[in-house]
Amino acid sequence: MIKGLKTITSKEIKELVRDPRIILGITVAPLVMFLIMGYAMQGIFTQVEKSVEQIELGVLNLDEGNLGESLIENLTKLGVDVIELKSTNESDIVQQMKKYNLTTLLVIPENFSENTENHKGVIKMYTVYGGGVTESAKTGRISTIIEQIKRIWSPDPFTVSENSIVKGKIIPVSPNILSGLFMSQNITIPIVIAIVTLLSMQLAATSIATEKEEKTLETLLSLPINRFSILVGKLFGSVFVAMIGAVAYLAGFNYYMGSFNAPGAGYIELSEIGLTPAPAGYILIGISLFVTLLFALSLAIIASAFTEDVRSAQALVGYFYPIIFIPMFLLMYADMSMLSLPVRIAVFAIPFSQPVLAVRYAISGNYLIAIAGIIYVSFLTIVILYIASRFFATEKILTAKLALKRMKR
Amino acid sequence: MSMAAVEVKDLVKVFDRIKAVDGLSFYVDEGEIYGLVGPNGAGKTTTLRIIATLISPTSGEVKIFGIDASKKPEKIRELISYLPEEAGAYKNLTGMEYLRFMAKLCSRNPAETEEMVERGISISGLGERLNDKIKTYSKGMKRRLLIARALMTLPKLAILDEPTSGLDVIYSFQVRDTIKRFVREYGITVLLSSHNMLEVEYLCNRIGLLSRGRIVAEGPPDELKASYNASNLEEVFMRVSNND
Repeated sequence: MIKGLKTITSKEIKELVRDPRIILGITVAPLVMFLIMGYAMQGIFTQVEKSVEQIELGVLNLDEGNLGESLIENLTKLGVDVIELKSTNESDIVQQMKKYNLTTLLVIPENFSENTENHKGVIKMYTVYGGGVTESAKTGRISTIIEQIKRIWSPDPFTVSENSIVKGKIIPVSPNILSGLFMSQNITIPIVIAIVTLLSMQLAATSIATEKEEKTLETLLSLPINRFSILVGKLFGSVFVAMIGAVAYLAGFNYYMGSFNAPGAGYIELSEIGLTPAPAGYILIGISLFVTLLFALSLAIIASAFTEDVRSAQALVGYFYPIIFIPMFLLMYADMSMLSLPVRIAVFAIPFSQPVLAVRYAISGNYLIAIAGIIYVSFLTIVILYIASRFFATEKILTAKLALKRMKR
Repeated sequence: MSMAAVEVKDLVKVFDRIKAVDGLSFYVDEGEIYGLVGPNGAGKTTTLRIIATLISPTSGEVKIFGIDASKKPEKIRELISYLPEEAGAYKNLTGMEYLRFMAKLCSRNPAETEEMVERGISISGLGERLNDKIKTYSKGMKRRLLIARALMTLPKLAILDEPTSGLDVIYSFQVRDTIKRFVREYGITVLLSSHNMLEVEYLCNRIGLLSRGRIVAEGPPDELKASYNASNLEEVFMRVSNND
């Protein structure tokens, strides 16, 4: 054994475990996080199950033979709630779907019976795609039912051509492909936002702690300057760094969105089919991320005032992990519409959700909710700054500590 | 009659049921160097922090040039300069940048900033090393920079907590000399704390011996030595402590 290794390791462990702020930060935070996540995910799965339990399917039957009718009968027998459209052509299907509030429509063409007898039949499926998870679950369920019918009839009597309707435009791409693309985007964006937020918070949290550790805070507080300037000056310094982070994020995000295309449809770019934000959307995403970072930094600066050194300040940021990661994880797998009302309110209320939600709302063009989120986070930031300024005006900035005594063992 | 630079009456400070300062009273005349002397935990630093408006008293009164420190702390901060014991400086700034940073925060215009910086350069005696980052400084160099920072603004009252803390004999001598010269040249008032009896004997016009948060003896060093029939201030302190 290397000389001194055991002694140094033992001293390190003692130093770490005797500081309850560190030990609680690394044990309680993940436990709380997974408990809440488990509860919320149950709700999401129930919602997905519900969406595929009762399937409502619009059918436009233009077939002159009997097989179209037979297909509808089979669908009904297998539990599909069929709504037959009375149109005579498929030129206005988008309007028809809107009129009957349909999300999926099956079009059985004129010569379906004749072609199917020759194993050349084709039916077209149209699904309204809004960037969610339930659409693909639903089309998956319909495809399974159609496969069952095909097996009953004969081997490969017809094929299904899947199409998506995005913002009223028909795209010859299966919603499953779009959903796959969105799923990877849904996972990447929250992770990147969480990393940018956490890094910025770590930086800000150390700013007051460093002043305390380096014994420069007392000098600063005795100078003839407004203490609010010290607070805001520190905040602006961190904001400058965070802004660089936000710009790097936006540049990366822009490249990331541009790198997506839909294979199997002649490589149509997502931007061409309206599944990327418009310029106004990008601005909103940037503002949302900026105000959220401002909030995160203010929170970190206040929290760090309760610590005496840099290590404790960094450990303290660990307490914020659950409120940063829970909404991020939830939004990876679910849309706000899939969450129960209390969970939805809780997710919206957590400021860290806002940049992720802003991306969703910017893509869907729902700018008002994104703006509401920005106003909400800005208001919270002002409240936090007000509390901080009151705190800075007293001796607590020098004497405050978390009411956790160091454990002696 | 000149106004007292510092007037402390019945000052009490309690931290978590511990009485750090217990009914302390003293005054410092304008242009005087007054030393608070006492062992660790006697309440020296707490008293200086209250006078520097960093912490509030539990009870009692502190007036600086007639201004109540509890009521108008921002006015007091315009008159004072406080050097904490073991104070640090921003290690990634150069000495020059640090002096300029502090001067900008204390001055009213760029010309005054430059005057302060020039004075700081002269007091520190660090010469070319002022262009190096503070993290490369020795403990003595850092302390000289901090003393330069505290005096360059020509405060009406300089509050110096253990000004020569951590300095060797030569540097300590230089620092004491600088303080004396500044009081003589600019008429500033100095309130300092120290463990070093030799230092206070050399520097201070009057001293207050502090024990358990109270002044137990006060006066010019020579008078104290005479009245306690002691050859130096250490003996005075030991006799006073034993009587207390």
